[in-house]
Amino acid sequence: MPKFKIAFYPDNKTIELEKGKTLLAAAISLGLNINSSCAGDGVCGRCKVLIKKGQVNSLPTGRITAEERKLGLCLACLTMPLSDVEVEIPQDSRVDLSKISEEEAYLSRLKGIYTKPETIEKSTPVINEDIFIHSPLATKLYLKMPKPTPEDKISDLERLYREIRKIKSIQIIQTGLANIRNLGNLLRSSEFKITVTLGNRNDTTEIVLIEPSNTSRKNFGIAFDIGTTTISGQLVDLNTKEILGTKATFNQQATFGSDIITRIIYAQKEEGLERLHHAVIDGMNNIIQELIQENKIDLNNVTCCVCAGNTTMIHLLLRVDPTYIRREPYVPTANFVPVIRSQEAGIKLNTRGLLACVPGISSYVGGDVTAGVLACGLDTEEELCLLIDIGTNGEIVLGSREWMISAAASAGPAFEGSGVSCGMRAAKGAIQRVRIDKSNYSVNYTTIASAEPQGICGSGYIDLIAQMLRAGIIDKNGKINDLKSERIRTGENGKEFILIDNVYISEADIDNLKRAKGAIYSAAAILVKHMGFSFQDVKKVFIAGGFGSYLDIENAITIGILPDIARQRFKFVGNSSLIGAREIILSSNAIHKAEDIARKITYFELSTDSGYMDEYVASLFFPHTDLKQFPNIKF
Amino acid sequence: MPLELLKEKCSNAIDVVEIGATASEGGSRDRVVKVGGQTGLPFLFEEMDAPNKPQVAIEIFDTEPADWPDTLKEPYGEALKNPVDWAIKCEKEFKADLLALRLSAIHPDSGNKSADEAVKLIRDVLSAVKIPLIIIGCNDEAKDNLVLPKIAEAAKGERCLIGDALQKNYKTLTAACLAYGHNIIAESPIDINIAKQLNILISEMGFAVNRIVINPTVGALGYGLEYAYSIMERARLAALGGDRILSQAFICFVGQEAWRAKEAKTTAKECPEWGNELERGILWETVTASAFLQAGADILIMRHPKAIELIKKNIEELMKR
Repeated sequence: MPKFKIAFYPDNKTIELEKGKTLLAAAISLGLNINSSCAGDGVCGRCKVLIKKGQVNSLPTGRITAEERKLGLCLACLTMPLSDVEVEIPQDSRVDLSKISEEEAYLSRLKGIYTKPETIEKSTPVINEDIFIHSPLATKLYLKMPKPTPEDKISDLERLYREIRKIKSIQIIQTGLANIRNLGNLLRSSEFKITVTLGNRNDTTEIVLIEPSNTSRKNFGIAFDIGTTTISGQLVDLNTKEILGTKATFNQQATFGSDIITRIIYAQKEEGLERLHHAVIDGMNNIIQELIQENKIDLNNVTCCVCAGNTTMIHLLLRVDPTYIRREPYVPTANFVPVIRSQEAGIKLNTRGLLACVPGISSYVGGDVTAGVLACGLDTEEELCLLIDIGTNGEIVLGSREWMISAAASAGPAFEGSGVSCGMRAAKGAIQRVRIDKSNYSVNYTTIASAEPQGICGSGYIDLIAQMLRAGIIDKNGKINDLKSERIRTGENGKEFILIDNVYISEADIDNLKRAKGAIYSAAAILVKHMGFSFQDVKKVFIAGGFGSYLDIENAITIGILPDIARQRFKFVGNSSLIGAREIILSSNAIHKAEDIARKITYFELSTDSGYMDEYVASLFFPHTDLKQFPNIKF
Repeated sequence: MPLELLKEKCSNAIDVVEIGATASEGGSRDRVVKVGGQTGLPFLFEEMDAPNKPQVAIEIFDTEPADWPDTLKEPYGEALKNPVDWAIKCEKEFKADLLALRLSAIHPDSGNKSADEAVKLIRDVLSAVKIPLIIIGCNDEAKDNLVLPKIAEAAKGERCLIGDALQKNYKTLTAACLAYGHNIIAESPIDINIAKQLNILISEMGFAVNRIVINPTVGALGYGLEYAYSIMERARLAALGGDRILSQAFICFVGQEAWRAKEAKTTAKECPEWGNELERGILWETVTASAFLQAGADILIMRHPKAIELIKKNIEELMKR
């Protein structure tokens, strides 16, 4: 098989590629960041590259215009080399995988997802650390053990158990062979003064680690929320319960598809699962590194982590084949994953550190939702409540302490700033708030950190669409009206409304956002209807997701993403998945609670519900086809 | 004890739409065709009232149809070659109550006739016949947006029914119908939600809802008739239950659908076991039409004069109290 040399610019990286393999495969092998929402199926048209030199065979596609073809642009996933080739990857074809800086992380805009969760507007019941007894996943004990004497000559291990039991009443203790092998020497070299790390592993206690001298004050854990689009991690002092720092990054799996289904399909390709697995653990390991460096912590003192994520993300984290999640009858390999050693999954903590996953509910409602319910306390509420996660998978939970039912809406990443022309995540320079003057269509906006506008984030889009509706710039179907204004122009994807210079919204964007909001609203509406209620019966609506408390409720109702009920019923819980994961790392009670919650929640399959499609199409309108559901929205 | 039937009363009635204007109203038609006004499900006179009966419009074209089978061409003969003659034949010979003129030759790919030619044709037809007119574009958005407003202007005062407005292209036609006092056809792809969304969009431009006629899109017998039927039935039930934004008359393009079916077109020579094609084609159209009458159709657009005769008889019988 002939091989060709492929050089990528501006990265200046080269690889030998077999004839018949695509440029996308070459770029991925080199670990180059290239956008491919459809994971190389030739559908999304995002992996455009420029052939600078050499011969290629490019399969025909409607995603490349005749003009682009003339310029030498082609889709990397449909292009095979016929000679040595030089390729340029334009900036537009890259995925924005940049990290979220400390500065951004602590801006008030990012309340919830990136800020210390305790600063989140508290809802009742408050997210209270004291609800759960402090008993972290990994506990350190400093022991000054009596040395063996002729009168007291029980074995070293039994001696260790005896000393532990003096402090904690633990019946069953397990120890790995590695620890036993070292025990004799270690005890004697450390004068029988040691720190032992006890781990809660699936209702038994394990001696995870034995160290010389006293390190008991240095015991840290990391809570993770692994989202389809964003990964967040939070460093916690397991002794003091203090949060030492929070980091977030885009999930680099985006290179292999923007939604979970595309990624599951990608996992079945050659090396697909491997790559997806590495993309997620790389992101997590980077977060860990940054957190420990900033806080000057030794990695050996990070003894455990807890991961909350949707079922597919957890499968990929553990490198478990997710194939059967998307095959009827949609069964995951595991919802309840036992506590494992983090090293087995490739997460770099203390080499014997533990990794726990928050139990999931079904293939499409995962541990992130369990953690969310735990965090907002929906499972303890007397009255009917709704939890809405405005994320890529749009999970919904309806219920109270009596019962809970959940569904996944598959909203897509539009509200997380992906798949829309000027979309960006909630970071510095994102337009987050928009007001439009009805009389002359002038636009007033604010950006995060008051920086130069770079793009529009989720809350900005919700504001923008609501304001465009109110100003009569778009009709209820989301089409831009024929107005005499220099802000309106016709672009490639239909009409566009310009906010400033290069920041605009197109009719195609509005369509995308309309589908996302329709998916979320209709899923909630179906659940409420299915249980024989109306939205008016819902006394509290917990809103989770990256919006934090910056989402303008009135505007969200105006575009029909949230139901038209009394505004004070809405409560923001921020990144409830991360908060729940933190609760769990700090308390074994919370783990048991999470398991109870996961068992208690019934999963409702929207795709087989006869009314869902109808409800969805009815929601593809601003605010809704059935205007009676939004009596207070008039424009 | 005598059995007492349970009667269902509906809270809402279907809007009445008036097509055509007489001289006293500023037009030149000899009659005004009214449809709608039902207060219950079709023909259940125990429970409801229907002040207006369903109407049949004969569909004619601005150019000789290329894809019509001989059985369909035969009754019109030479008149097919001249739209004005064709219109006159429909009025005089086939006693049409309504005429549906489809401007297929303005389409850029089949004739590309100019707006002026189309306007002239409409003027000629309006002066040649006295029955109210339904005017349909060519399904090319850009061309329809160019031609239909001029047609609307030329037919000012005649209170025609002009279509079709689509969800992605309704503004130009709505504005034209609003300016020149016509009724509008709102087309949705067998989808009750989109039908409603389009009605909202049109009415938000200041267009009176009761001047909208819903084209729910139908399928012929054997080609999705049941699906179309159920959508119409659902829309009608919603309307009668109080949904004002879905309470409009239905227009069903039965002829177009029925004569596309191979069962209607194939000759006996090609398929001897199917029997005589004339009878078969006529019945295919008639049976399709009669099903939609039961679903609540108010205006049927049909093609074969014999099928029209049969369906009119069917309507008379159904309307007997």
